[in-house]
Parts: sequence; structure tokens; C-alpha cells
Amino acid sequence: MRDDRRDTVQIAAMAAPFVVGLVVLVLLPAGFTVALAFTSYDLVSSPAWAGLGNFADLVDDDIFRTALLNSAVFAAIATPLRLLLALGLALLLHRRATAVGFARTTVMLPTAVPEIAYGLLWLWMFNPIYGPVNRLLTTGGEAGLTVLGRTPPQWLTDPDSARAAIIILSLFTIGEAFFVLLTARQALPRELYELAAVEDATGWDVFRRVTLPMLTPVLLLLLLRDTILSLQLNSCPHWSSPTAGPRRTRPPTCPCSSTATASSTCATATPRPRPW
Amino acid sequence: MTGVALEGVRASYGDREVLRGIDLEVLEGELLVVLGPSGSGKTTMLRVIAGLEPVTAGRVRVAGRDVTRARPGRRNVSMVFQSYALFPHLTVLANICFGLEVRNVRGEAGRLRATEAARAAGCADLLDRRPGELSGGERQRVALARALVRQPDAFLLDEPLSNLDAELRVQTRTELKALHARVGATTIHVTHDQTEALVLGDRVAVLRDGLVEQIGTPDEIWSEPATLAVARFVGSPAMNVLTGDGPLRPRSLSGSPDDPVRRGIRADALVLGPVGAPGAVEQVELVGADAYVHVRVGPDRVVVRVPASGRPRPGDQVRVSAADGDWHLFDAGSGVRLRR
Repeated sequence: MRDDRRDTVQIAAMAAPFVVGLVVLVLLPAGFTVALAFTSYDLVSSPAWAGLGNFADLVDDDIFRTALLNSAVFAAIATPLRLLLALGLALLLHRRATAVGFARTTVMLPTAVPEIAYGLLWLWMFNPIYGPVNRLLTTGGEAGLTVLGRTPPQWLTDPDSARAAIIILSLFTIGEAFFVLLTARQALPRELYELAAVEDATGWDVFRRVTLPMLTPVLLLLLLRDTILSLQLNSCPHWSSPTAGPRRTRPPTCPCSSTATASSTCATATPRPRPW
Repeated sequence: MTGVALEGVRASYGDREVLRGIDLEVLEGELLVVLGPSGSGKTTMLRVIAGLEPVTAGRVRVAGRDVTRARPGRRNVSMVFQSYALFPHLTVLANICFGLEVRNVRGEAGRLRATEAARAAGCADLLDRRPGELSGGERQRVALARALVRQPDAFLLDEPLSNLDAELRVQTRTELKALHARVGATTIHVTHDQTEALVLGDRVAVLRDGLVEQIGTPDEIWSEPATLAVARFVGSPAMNVLTGDGPLRPRSLSGSPDDPVRRGIRADALVLGPVGAPGAVEQVELVGADAYVHVRVGPDRVVVRVPASGRPRPGDQVRVSAADGDWHLFDAGSGVRLRR
């Protein structure tokens, strides 16, 4: 009985820093933000009750609707692609082999690049005139056209191309998911794969019947996490496409940096901005 | 007919040669137990037969076919791993069916064969469970059923009883023996447990430092160990090995400090009685109905097995003797058996 009480006190003491941090830094600000969403507040004067007015404004705001659609499309396309890419690379690079350490580092590196630098880098990469992407696409073509005689994408000016560009640039920052999947794959017992080999299972059989089911819990966790992060996508699109197709690539989580919402309250649109 | 044969097989991990020229023939339907201490190469030998490790020299034959370069799945062998290697996300039935399904034996036919194998291995009532819900003994049965279901040319069992508690090990050992008698498949069973080897095997191969030290029936291994190493490894407590001119010796052997002979005698062949070489009891270990009495006899220290009820006490003066026929003699240099 005494031991139980001591255990409880010990667990509470160990959990306290996390619980305090969660309450003070996450739950209270979140609650405060939700409350402010029902008010009119300009950061100077006291909040005034606005009921559902802010939400009604949002629904009527075509920029918000566009941004919401952008985020949904991005989450629907980029999240599975990022996860598939991370999984593929993790399965490719989990074995010991020549230069595998270098290859793993290469996959990880883009994730470590600061977001502003990463956004500006892609701003240069996607530049329609002197950017390396379009230079590559027009190699072998004539008069600035591709080999197939088509105009290369105008990445940062055409809305659809800009959306594609943002999806493409997001595919290189998969370091965390790659690392988690690599570790998860390496933790799977070697005997299971040896047994599959003795049973004459093909590579596809092994992937479908062994690897994929055993990685499913990790994949689901990463899917949830990546979807949330995709919906919170903010700085990279902002920095890489500052003028991209007038607001067409803007996700709903970056209105504070825009004049589009300067007149409205930040609280109405940004429950809790987080970097992507 | 030969079930499995190894001809001059060598295998290495990096610079370390683990198998140094193994020659071994397992007859069709035979249960051969490979016995050896840790690091002797017995598991590597099994993995070489399965195709999970490459050979650096020699040949591997399964059912007469040269499979040295064949990939594991084309050797038609089944393996039971020490950890059992059950897929945790699959039910017992799906685990047993795995080998069939990847060979496109699906549906009712596969289910029937799996149920039959599960019945033979004694796990037919567990088919809907997952490995996480099974005890060690039950997992072992499922692994056996999975090996059985495909009717391979040879079964390779890598210390399948080592994760079981003592009672279950004895019970499963008996069941394994009965199962082999029923199925009659060529089986290679690797273990470091000498009792398991002597009880289970039709023949026993003793491995040491990557070489087969001796291969023979359990009786031959016990009563005529080919080398000093086999004599010391098989038997608990280990065989007493005496050197030099101590008083405890067969009557036919003269004593000399330079004698190039090692004298071996098992603990249960020594007798404490009114006659024999004088000695002092140094230690007594009680092991159930028996007691192991450590006696200092001249320059040697020997272990004598006596009934626990008649054990002496430490410090007692005793006399130790043995029948001439119970001695094993080995060459001091090579360790090879000389004569009995």
C-alpha cells in the first residue's frame, strides 16, 4: 500500500514538468484562442463579444476558402506521397551496404535546412527563367520549350504549377518519417525474414505479408502526424511563392503574414500557427 | 539413401572461419542431433544447410540434390528457429499456412493441410489465436506445425527447446521424439544440452571449434568418447580427467609423471568404499537423490557420484576406487582415445 503511494507520487513528480508545460503552453493558449475567436479583438483594446461573426466572415472570405482547399489538396496528395517516399527509402537503405550512411544522411539533410533558407532555395530552383528545374526541363528543346515542344511549367506564377511546386518541395523534407521508418524496419526480427526466405517467399510476398503489416502501426502514426503538419503548412509556401498566383498557394494557416487578413483579427484564422 | 550431406563444408564470418571442413551424412528419416558448446559452429552449420549462410568451400546436398548455390526457398527444407520466428500479426492458422500460401496453395486445401499439421504437432486448438497469446510451449508447437505442413525433405531445428522451462522441456522432448517416429522425416536438431542430444538422437554429432569431433549413436558417444573434448563435454558432472602418477589409476597402467596418457573416469564409475586410493572430501554438492562428492586424491581432484543418503561430510577421509573396465584413456597430446 505504502509502495503504491510512493509509486504514485514518483510518477506524478516525473510527469509534472510535461503536464505543466502542456497546460501552460498548449491547453491554456488554445482555450484562450478559441475564446477570442468569438470576439472582436485588435490586440490593443479589450475584446468585444462578436458571437459567430468571425466565422461567418471566414466562410464568406474567398481567400480563406481557397486557402482551405489548397491545404486539403496538399494534405491529400503530399501526405501519402511523402509517406510512400519515406517508406521506400527506409526499405532501400535499412541494410548495411557501401555508402549507405552517406545515402541516409542525404535523405535526412533537407529536413535540417532552416525553413526560410529552404523556401528561398526553391524560389531560385523554380524560377521559370534561370532556375535549374526549368533549365533541366528545357534541355534538348528549342526556343525555351521542352523536348516535346511544350512550354515548361511557370512554377511560381501559374496557380496549378505553384501548387505542384509546393508538393514537390515538400517531398524532400521527409527526414523524420524516414528516420522513424528506418529504425522501425531495423527493429523487425531478422528471423522473420529468414523464415520467409526458407519458405521461398518473393520480395513482394515479404513486403505485403511481413513488412507492411508489421510497420502499419508506425505508418498510421506518421500518417496522422503528417496530415496534421500538412494542414498547418505555413512558411515554406510563403517564402518560396510570395507572389505565386495571387494568394492561390496560400494555406489557411498563414494569414497573419498577409494583408489579406490584416483587417480581421488574427485569432479568427490562426488558432495556433506552427511552422511546417 | 542420404537425407542431408555436407562435404568438406567451410564457412566464415568475416575473417573468422566458423566451419573448418565439415563432413557429415544424415540418412533419410534419421534424427541427427548436433551437440556442441556455444561458438562451436552448430547453428552456423544449420544455417548453411538452410542456405542462410554461404559456404566458402565444400558442398551441401539435400535429398541427393546439390543445393550448395541454391537459394533457401529452393532447398525444400523447413527450419524451426530458436525464437520460433512466428509472425506476431498473423493467427496460428495463418502462420502455419504461410509457407503454403507463398507457394500458391490457398483456400480449403491449405487449411486442411494446416489443420492436419497442427493436429500432429498438438496445437489444433490454438488456430485462431495470435502468437502473443501463446505460452512458450504452445509457440514451439506452432513453429513445428509450420515446419511440418510443407512436407519438406529435411527439418532443421535450431535449439527449439532452449526457451522452455525444465519441466516443459522434458515433456516436449518426449513429444518431439514421438513426432519424429510418426513422421519419419530427416531431421537435424541442434542443441547444447547433452541430455536432450542423448535422449532424442538416432545419432549424435559432437561439434567443436568448427569440426565434427565425433559422430555416433548416443551409446557410443557416452561409452566410447572419441576424444578428450567429447568425454569432458558429454556427461554431468564432466568426466574426471587425471594426469601424471596419482594413485587413482587402472591396475594395468603403470604410473609415471611423464606418462603421455590422460585417464578419464566418470563420476558414477567411481566408488567410495573400504578399498582404493585414499583421499579427503573437500566439498559435497547435494543434487536431489544424488550427491557429488569432490575428493582430493593425491595430486588429483575427482568428483564421485553417490546416493545422497550415504554421502560423506567435507573433511572425511575416504577411499576411492573404480573398475578397470570403466577407465577411458586418451593421448595427452592429441586428446584422441587410446583404448579402454
